[in-house]
Amino acid sequence: MEKLLQAAMESADSAEVFFTESEYSSLSTRNGIVTEVGTTMQSGYALRVLKGGKLGTAYTKNLLDRSDLVKNALSSLEGEVEAGFSFPEPAEVREMQKYSPSVESLGFPDLFDACRELLDFFRNRTEGQVDAGSAFGRSSSRIINSNGLDLSDRSSVFTGSAQVLFPNTESGIYETFSFRERKPFPKESLERQLSLYTRGLPEVDIQTGRMKVMFLPFSMYTLTWRLSAAASGRSFVKGTTPLLGKVGQKVLSENFTWYDDPLDPDSVGGATPFDDEGIPTKRTAIIVNGVFKTIFVNLDCASQLNLAPTGHGYRGGGMWGGNPIVNPPQPGLSAPGFAPGEASFDSMVEGMDRGIILFGVLGAHSGNIINGDFSVGMNPGLYVERGRIVGRVRDGMVAGNAWDVLNRVEAVQNGPYNPFGYFRYPCVLLDGVSVSARG
Amino acid sequence: MIGVGFREPAGASRLKQRELPMLEKLERFIAGFPADFADIRYEVEKETTIVFSGKDLKEVTASTTDGYVVRVLKGGGFATATVTRPEDVPRALGMALDGAETMVRAGGKKVRLAPVPVVHDTVKLDLKGDPRGKPLTEKIALTRSYNSFLGEQQNIATTTLTYSEVYRDKFYVNSEGTAVNEELLTTSISGEAVARKGDLLQNIRVAVGGADGWNRLAGRESLFVERAKIAGSLLDAEPVRGGTWNVILSPNLAGVFTHEAFGHFSEADIIEDNPSLRARMEIGEELGNSSVSIVADSTLPSQLGYYRYDDEGVAVRRVQLMKAGVLVGRLHSRATAAAFDEPVSGHAVAEDHRYEPIVRMGTIFIEPGRKSFEDLLRDLGNGLYLVDGKGGQTAGENFTFGAQYGFLVENGKLGGMIRDINIMRNLFTTLKSIVGVSDAFQLSERGGCGKGQTNIKSSLGGPHVLVTDMVVGGV
Repeated sequence: MEKLLQAAMESADSAEVFFTESEYSSLSTRNGIVTEVGTTMQSGYALRVLKGGKLGTAYTKNLLDRSDLVKNALSSLEGEVEAGFSFPEPAEVREMQKYSPSVESLGFPDLFDACRELLDFFRNRTEGQVDAGSAFGRSSSRIINSNGLDLSDRSSVFTGSAQVLFPNTESGIYETFSFRERKPFPKESLERQLSLYTRGLPEVDIQTGRMKVMFLPFSMYTLTWRLSAAASGRSFVKGTTPLLGKVGQKVLSENFTWYDDPLDPDSVGGATPFDDEGIPTKRTAIIVNGVFKTIFVNLDCASQLNLAPTGHGYRGGGMWGGNPIVNPPQPGLSAPGFAPGEASFDSMVEGMDRGIILFGVLGAHSGNIINGDFSVGMNPGLYVERGRIVGRVRDGMVAGNAWDVLNRVEAVQNGPYNPFGYFRYPCVLLDGVSVSARG
Repeated sequence: MIGVGFREPAGASRLKQRELPMLEKLERFIAGFPADFADIRYEVEKETTIVFSGKDLKEVTASTTDGYVVRVLKGGGFATATVTRPEDVPRALGMALDGAETMVRAGGKKVRLAPVPVVHDTVKLDLKGDPRGKPLTEKIALTRSYNSFLGEQQNIATTTLTYSEVYRDKFYVNSEGTAVNEELLTTSISGEAVARKGDLLQNIRVAVGGADGWNRLAGRESLFVERAKIAGSLLDAEPVRGGTWNVILSPNLAGVFTHEAFGHFSEADIIEDNPSLRARMEIGEELGNSSVSIVADSTLPSQLGYYRYDDEGVAVRRVQLMKAGVLVGRLHSRATAAAFDEPVSGHAVAEDHRYEPIVRMGTIFIEPGRKSFEDLLRDLGNGLYLVDGKGGQTAGENFTFGAQYGFLVENGKLGGMIRDINIMRNLFTTLKSIVGVSDAFQLSERGGCGKGQTNIKSSLGGPHVLVTDMVVGGV
């Protein structure tokens, strides 16, 4: 990496080299049978150069020829992409323990054991098809730049997941777990999963209308994609956000607080002491008690908006995901969460006279995201009548505008229902949400 | 397990001594490998990306990536490994072997591969204008001009427009003796125009592109103007009222519907391990209305979804999936073809060198019928005309898709414009609800199906179709 940086600096004013390497192994079962086994070992280099206020970029997987990579980056300067930013100086970053050496001794038999642990839990307790999967791996990254910044990070992960399918469908109730190393899967989460599945077994037709809708963690991205798109510095640069000119104003219910906390070690997928541009991360309050506080930015957006960098430049490809080598840093959240409320899950259900528990969704990506609009299929949605789950809805949709419905927050659960690897989302109960169905 | 290795084959050390043709290099990697079957794919991917955000040019990148994918079958166990560095290929083979053996020990699925002919072939690009030889400045200038056409229209607040050129040189070798080299090139200029009035934002997508080179990208100014005007018109459109509607889908939206509602279910790997769904998708089942015939055809020349061989070295063929409402075919990899005891179809496709192949539908469409669009409007009477896809998603038999815009239809006449349209339904009930098919036919120019991997060659389209009782979620 140093030689690559040195080669780039022979022609550029400043330069940055990003390197990442990862290795993951996974095993999947369907209907109790092992169906897929695989390993991915990926690595690559991304180079950014600045010259005369212009930005050049290039990347490669195999660094066979340093001069070719540098040449590609210098050639892209022909595009005359304006760069109002400079690469950061070295800064102190938090020490984080994200790596467990125990993953090095894991193998496919351990993944099979993990799946068996999940399958054993459900054995003889449901007639539904149970699909389980498990994976482990490690990744590392390093950023160096011509200002002397040199940061490295390493992490390990062990995951498990189980889905119980409703009869004759591919729709079901699922649960995911993420740890730094192999651990037993928490039984209380699996019990809750089984309970929701059992209560959702009857298929019901309901009437179209407005009613209470409880978003569960797996459906929450329906709302958070729209919030993220609006609070991103990129949308402010383009002037396409409903939050334009609203920093410091109340935009959502006072029951709603949204933050990003990459320093939370429990966010297995999202914890990081620095972003992909080398800016130290910190807990960032984006919306506090309904008041919009922070525009999150990468270096480029920070310079265009005349803001200080917030440590939110990530190469992950935004809401669609993607290859961190190929994608340039964009404003993004690493470990977002909602502040917990005071209600238990059961009390939230009991408080619903008529409503939907939106477990999962289809089509969250196809609404008018920039305007906050959503219109999603329930996959599945459980119907609640007089405080009791009576079944799952046949062909139901939930629609609305995130900025509208999140002004009607009835209750927030008193703790995250499921960390989901990255997120810390409690269940959120909203009032007066539009529901369409065949009834 | 990290660190599990396979003894480096004799050929591998010789690779370091002299440069061999890539297919020969790959053959040496798997020569003598202790398994029932092994294959290896190497790909070089050269990608040019130019991004405009508003009036600003935000990214220009021209770069190369490459990598290897290996698969091993032993005793019915089947496992894959993907790897970046050539020196790691022997270790990747070792890990795949370990995975396959674990699958056997765990009593896993017994995988068999359907027999296919041994192939030796090289497929070069057949382009109408090769963008690879054009200077970067020409590509930037074309994208900039289209971006300006978008941005100059009334009420357009901003635009995003991306030029994408993806060239893949794929080399595939297996232990049965097949050796195939195929080049693919996918180009597009795509993005969106965002219109604004007060706090209301509306966007419309635009895309030109395909698999046959540069000429298709040039001379498309009028399309960009037209799309921006639609975005502006959406500011005055009414949000659709949620409920159950009879609808006409435009050719593009009919394609999204076909892809999401039926196409994924015709991919054998989706249903292979779900016994109850597999039972409902038996060949010969009458699943659709008699007006519906569906085809997957990646052999159509010059189309986005065109390719000659899949990523198992199997020649792709046209597959009739549904004929007059009856299920008559399915899309397969070699493994699923053996599991279903059905013919291979050449549909095991990977996004790129980072992924193993999975079953993908390629170019899919409903075959045109005999009615005109006006006939369908008349048949509809009152309902909605929905235009152009805005993404879709499927989970088993349930699917959703969004429309970019639409119109109310009253007494067979197009009425006011509507927006915020998403639809959900169940495959088995919907296929019987397609009651009219027009004589029009149009295929998409840009793809992006995200079934685990993003398939930029996913092509879809068809005629206008009339569907009854669709659940529409209004905002």
